Amino acid sequence: MKLLVFLAFAFFSGLSISAGDYKCGSIECYEFSPDTKDKESLQRGLSAYMNYCYGCHSLKYSRYKRVAEDLSIPLDIYEQNLIFDDSKIGDLMHISLKESKAIELLGAKPPDLTLEARLRSPEWVYTYLDTFYEDSSRPYGVNNKVYVNVSMPHVLEDIQLELSEEEYDRYIADITNFLTYVSDPSAETRKQLGIYVILFLLIFTAFAYLVYREFKKDLK
Amino acid sequence: MTTDTRTKRFLSWIDFRFPLTEVFERHLSKYPAPTNLNIWYLFGFLLIVVLAMQIVTGLWLMMNYTNSAEEAFSSVEYIMRDVEYGWLIRYMHAAGASAFFALIYLHMFRGMMYGSYQKPRELIWLGGWFTYLILMAEGFTGYVLPWGQMSFWAAQVIISLFSSIPVVGEDLATWIRGDYLVSGITLSRLFAFHVVLLPILLIAIVFFHILALHEIGSNNPDGIDVKKHLDEDGVPLDTKPFFPYDISHDIFALGVFLIIFCSVVFFFPTGGGYIIEYVNYEPANPLSTPAHIVPSWYYTPFYAMLRAVDFPLFGLTAKFLGFATMMAAVAIFAVLPWLDRSPVKSIKYKGILSKTFLGIFVVSFFALCYLGMVPPTETKTLLSKIFTLGYFSYFLLMPIYTRIEKCKPVPERVAEA
Repeated sequence: MKLLVFLAFAFFSGLSISAGDYKCGSIECYEFSPDTKDKESLQRGLSAYMNYCYGCHSLKYSRYKRVAEDLSIPLDIYEQNLIFDDSKIGDLMHISLKESKAIELLGAKPPDLTLEARLRSPEWVYTYLDTFYEDSSRPYGVNNKVYVNVSMPHVLEDIQLELSEEEYDRYIADITNFLTYVSDPSAETRKQLGIYVILFLLIFTAFAYLVYREFKKDLK
Repeated sequence: MTTDTRTKRFLSWIDFRFPLTEVFERHLSKYPAPTNLNIWYLFGFLLIVVLAMQIVTGLWLMMNYTNSAEEAFSSVEYIMRDVEYGWLIRYMHAAGASAFFALIYLHMFRGMMYGSYQKPRELIWLGGWFTYLILMAEGFTGYVLPWGQMSFWAAQVIISLFSSIPVVGEDLATWIRGDYLVSGITLSRLFAFHVVLLPILLIAIVFFHILALHEIGSNNPDGIDVKKHLDEDGVPLDTKPFFPYDISHDIFALGVFLIIFCSVVFFFPTGGGYIIEYVNYEPANPLSTPAHIVPSWYYTPFYAMLRAVDFPLFGLTAKFLGFATMMAAVAIFAVLPWLDRSPVKSIKYKGILSKTFLGIFVVSFFALCYLGMVPPTETKTLLSKIFTLGYFSYFLLMPIYTRIEKCKPVPERVAEA
């Protein structure tokens, strides 16, 4: 067993160092700055995610209700349109695809993507979605420049063919924005609260300085 | 009866049974602090504040954290998403760990600069050194708890270091892990250390550190012995009472510190991967090793030394020698009071050699900190070796250079400095 772990260690460390020259696999990441304030984009991203990604990729640390509330989607509308199984609105976003079935179909377990945008960076996600290309040597006839030899088929292929380049870029930007939001749902609240905290501290420190200066005079 | 006399009567009732007023005056309100203390003397106070913050945020984290291999990772995400202000508590605790180390390094450097470890403050210094040791263990055990990829592999690498010890190593590592591999058993014992054993030791030793300090009194940037000149009440002339003079100073400093700290917590909570590693957003997976296993920034100088020793010697393996070098680098702080043979305390009055070697130490420390973060190359390993020598030369040559150099005379009173 120890030998096994060692071999795995040696193999993977060797592998990832050779593949790790760029931040986005075999290429540099495309420029992308996520906007998690744009609620319409997040809603479009959610809808795209639920229709094209959620079949295989769970968001199991997140809850339907939290997403609905944060994205200003009325709960009844959300329940009717974006919950596909008998889950309750307060449930975690598990998928119904069984792990064994996924391995049978794809040869690998599709990872949960709740934290993907934090693990890899939003640029990575965006670049990944934009760099599928034809490669007849792969089981699904496609390969990816960011995740070389990925087991995933190009699920957005029809969308990419249907939309103009600009529209497709916006489409994957929406998905990336949504994944960025879901990886850190408190980010906007945090930044808003942070401004008040810093303002309070500035006032506090200014008064603390005045008190300090007053006492310092005694010592002269 | 007025409220004033009532309070007095109540206090005298207490004082008859417990030395409340005496303790309060001795350790807080009337504690005499030298008048020439500078900005370097703020960090002790800030460390106490951070310790308190870590205990409070840690307590609340513990209420929602699950210490099993199956649930640890998701319980952390539960804290981040479902617990009210859980994200704030966790970010404060994570950034608090980094702040703790940043402050303790500054605090230690102050001691080294002004010779605060010298006679009669050896035990204060040893108490502080022991605090630092426990803090390192606290940082490591805490890092493992979220049970992400970096948590797991850091535990794997650190614990496996013990297996390099000749003869007993393998058994020792197994004993520490409680298993043949890092597993849920390891996680739950590190959790027990992190929340019970180490905090108790930490609080006890900090108490000792402060008690010893208040017995001897604070050193100062000039290393002047303020106790030589007392007023008619036996209070050193070159001091001022802690309240209100030092506390007003400390609270102002606390404000500045909190502005920096809260900017990190609210706007850069992962600290660009230095406070929370991005790799740790993937659950622990014993079958897949992350590309670069890097410890937290506060351990990287020692990690660089571990990697710098890449040659076997006297029949001992390179891994063991590296481990021993790393341990020695931490342990050597303990004997600092006995390495310094200088007649003066402060670097201000020491000679050019002391200044040079302290400079070499600082440069080596920062260089090793950087070298421990980046993947090793041949040049970088060579640099690590050079800076490891630089680091140790400050300590090991100290008995020589502090004896032969020429020092400036230390003034009798603060006003003459």
